Amino acid sequence: MTARLRQAMAGLHTWAGVCLGTLLFIIFWMGSLSVFDREIDRWMMPATRLPAPAATPSLDATVVPVAERLAAGAAMWTVVLPGARVPAIELRYTDGQGQPVRRHIDPASGRLLPEAGSVGASGFFFPFHFRLHLRFADLGYWLVGAAGMAMLVLLVSGVIVHRRIFSDFFTFRPTRALPRAVLDVHNLSGVLVLPFHFVITLSGLIIFFAIYFPAAYQVAYTGAAGGARAAFDQAAFGSWQRPASGRPGELASLDAMLATARALWQGREAYQVRVRHPGDAAAYVEIRRSVADDIPMNIDRLIFDGTSGRLLHRHGARPVMAVQRFIAGLHFIQFRHGLLRGLYFVAGLAGCMMIGSGLLFWLAARRRRGAGAGMRLVEALTVGGMTGTMIATLAFLLANRLLPAELAGRAGVEMQVFFGVWVLGFCHAALRPHEAWRAQSRMIGLAAVAAVVLNTLTTGLHPLAAVAAGQWAVAGVDGVLLLSAGLAGWAARHGRRSSTAAHAAVDGGHG
Amino acid sequence: MVSRVLAAVGAGYAFAAGAVALLAVALPAVAGMAHSEAVVLAAMLGFIIYLLVLLWAAVEPRLWRVWAGLLGGAALSWVLALGIRLPVAA
Repeated sequence: MTARLRQAMAGLHTWAGVCLGTLLFIIFWMGSLSVFDREIDRWMMPATRLPAPAATPSLDATVVPVAERLAAGAAMWTVVLPGARVPAIELRYTDGQGQPVRRHIDPASGRLLPEAGSVGASGFFFPFHFRLHLRFADLGYWLVGAAGMAMLVLLVSGVIVHRRIFSDFFTFRPTRALPRAVLDVHNLSGVLVLPFHFVITLSGLIIFFAIYFPAAYQVAYTGAAGGARAAFDQAAFGSWQRPASGRPGELASLDAMLATARALWQGREAYQVRVRHPGDAAAYVEIRRSVADDIPMNIDRLIFDGTSGRLLHRHGARPVMAVQRFIAGLHFIQFRHGLLRGLYFVAGLAGCMMIGSGLLFWLAARRRRGAGAGMRLVEALTVGGMTGTMIATLAFLLANRLLPAELAGRAGVEMQVFFGVWVLGFCHAALRPHEAWRAQSRMIGLAAVAAVVLNTLTTGLHPLAAVAAGQWAVAGVDGVLLLSAGLAGWAARHGRRSSTAAHAAVDGGHG
Repeated sequence: MVSRVLAAVGAGYAFAAGAVALLAVALPAVAGMAHSEAVVLAAMLGFIIYLLVLLWAAVEPRLWRVWAGLLGGAALSWVLALGIRLPVAA
């Protein structure tokens, strides 16, 4: 390997890291939280903390009457069947104002649960992870995609730059001077979890292949009737549609359709039932197979006629698509495996730690050469992007427990709290660069403890009671909150001013 | 520096997208693959192609070769892709 190549790679690694590191940290942070989004949902939506349903409930008895009342006039409504992670039936539709609505139904009694007043982790952290809540012109997708490509470039160039990759496994000198210790954290977290980082980044990009390389279907399906995208979706994903007739129609038994689906799929379960044009004579029902059984995110789906219950269309992935769905499944880990999900969470946080310590190493090395305006900016962005994002995350949870249930637009206020606190975190980091690390670490500790206390006060379920009640999702969220409080407190107390950043980096990985 | 970044990110993407478009229409024509399958395979390979292009653009010492290689390659693959484009069987 020539010195020139190594030098070029070092420059590439530095600049790609400094420019996109903070964005990558945020994406990894939100992705790590999304691994347990359903569990955080239970914490944030106390009414849905139900025992796991023993058998598949009757949709005709529990859901259809509710859906016909609530979603009257909607172009479609969707039912997500309950399972171990989401014990309540979910009903989704778009209301008269065009706003998406998600309601929960107790599968045992068929009772409609009160409005959650929150989009939860699955409605906030998860979309944050892949589109940053920027809907305009798919801008969020493209920023995340650019960061993803930069991550691949950083991983390859990082391997080339580090000449002693194997001995880096065993090198950690926390007592050494700041830049060296931070670099050890960077190398250790980078090397140990390298295969995971490469696979998770590449698979994340591949999930959205149709957004990032629209050229493929645009050229292949030019001039197709109904547009290139629709033609491709129909061939690849089995999208099936027909217009409404305008004549009223009675919906046939959904339970009977589910029984047919189960038989066609050799006993494997469905997870989603979608009724299009409900109440119309041309209504049709799309049933999707559960992704909890195996790694690939299968696209097995059946289309039934809404009024007769007759099977109209059946779709499954073709070979290359099946490979794509396998790669997507590796990324989403929706299959049943709690331990593996835990490892994904830890590996994702190790990614945060690697990205954060890389930025801190650059800052520490730069500071020795004197601070410029550019460095000040990166410093503020780094602190705000790391500890600030964690505080905003906790503020989102605190708002969830503090806002009154009857507040109009409560779910939106929760999100505004996140963004408001986030902006404050960046401002604080820009105005008080020398204290921001310690102050924000202390705030993380306080907010995490406050979240656990508020959950106990508002729902009566303290962590030990949650364990006793078998509410593992709630107990787990509380446990991780308490653990992060401890780590943040330790970081704030032990972080001397000169090395605060290093401790904050370690804390960042565990928060 | 700015010119190299523009070449890598901009011209590099044009090249990668061109290669993806070419593969998406060439695979059914050459290997008899289904159109939808070729689209998925081509787009998945696109990320690897783009990664290699970005790395090459960072390493190649002569900047004019980066520009020429990527713009030339992009033009060639787009012309070929649009040339081969087959009528889609419905």
